[in-house]
Amino acid sequence: MANDAEVRLSIPASPEFLRLARLAAAGLASRLGFTYDEVEDLRIAIDELCFSLVGNGGRPGTIVLRYWMQDDGLAVEGVGQFDEGMGTSPALSPLSQQILKAVVDEHELTIGKDGPEFRLLKRHVNG
Amino acid sequence: MSMSEDERDELRRKFEAYAESREPTLRDELVTAHLGLAEYLARRFANRGEPLDDLVQVASVGLLKAVDRFDPGRGLEFSTYATPTIVGELKRHFRDKGWAVRVPRRVQELHLRLGKVVSTLSQDLGRSPTIGEIAERAGASEEEVLEAMEAGRAYRFASLDAPAAGDDDNQSMASQLGEDDPLLAGIEHRVALSPLIAELPKREQIILHLRFFEGLTQSEIAGRLGISQMHVSRLLARSLAKLRGSAEED
Repeated sequence: MANDAEVRLSIPASPEFLRLARLAAAGLASRLGFTYDEVEDLRIAIDELCFSLVGNGGRPGTIVLRYWMQDDGLAVEGVGQFDEGMGTSPALSPLSQQILKAVVDEHELTIGKDGPEFRLLKRHVNG
Repeated sequence: MSMSEDERDELRRKFEAYAESREPTLRDELVTAHLGLAEYLARRFANRGEPLDDLVQVASVGLLKAVDRFDPGRGLEFSTYATPTIVGELKRHFRDKGWAVRVPRRVQELHLRLGKVVSTLSQDLGRSPTIGEIAERAGASEEEVLEAMEAGRAYRFASLDAPAAGDDDNQSMASQLGEDDPLLAGIEHRVALSPLIAELPKREQIILHLRFFEGLTQSEIAGRLGISQMHVSRLLARSLAKLRGSAEED
């Protein structure tokens, strides 16, 4: 298997396209031998972080997702490229933080040069 | 639903006592005594693409409402009174819960089978199965399994605001657990993180707590609460969507 393989996905920044972000993550995780529980965790994390970028109603613009298959897990990065900026800087509620802490090994939400971006790492435990 | 004359009298007395006192233990007894009816009616809706255990829950909500509203003084048999209420609840469930994204029938069917496959495999293996293992057992491709997992979220966003099916079992769940249950104890801590949590049905609060605060896996939660893992997964997704929805309104 080509480890360190990178997959890119660009989707409109709108909730109805987030299923593609989840499906891509789940598909790659499945290739890495993730368990059902781990895939579910990953999907929750992708949702939580993507929604922190697009909001419930979506924004004009796109989200560019990059997935890296690594030896010990899957790393995902998402960058929001919005036509009108975000208005406010992206922030995770304390609850979101708690949720993410429970489902992935690492996560962060920052402002990058192209816009708000998140990163997450989900390790595969039952190897 | 054959019942001896004595049993019938006994129930009638309980209904009268409950109408008077609204005593929760009597309510529980009356609900338990008629669960068979709820199950029987749920079965009649079982071929429409929803797991039976979900439907039984929905029917039980209808049953609870019927127990609360039944007036024994009017001389009607309870089952005669309750049947339309329960059937109404089931029909509403299907109306509210229609698949929002058009999910191919094949994937819907796989989604419905998945719950059982995942729980038997988890038991056999003593751990959460991989997607490959699930696909093999289900006789489907990995992609189909992933699509089927995704299909669990395909309910309409709008329906998230409607009272969710099974929410009324709050009460029976809470009384089962008891007010001092440690599961409910951490609630203040959780509410400090988000006051919106308090507005979720008790059962969803408990699942949220076990998953994100206690770090239990979905399968462990399923085992602890005696529901399927798919059900846990759906309820979690629904709670999170609700929390997100309300957070933005504020």
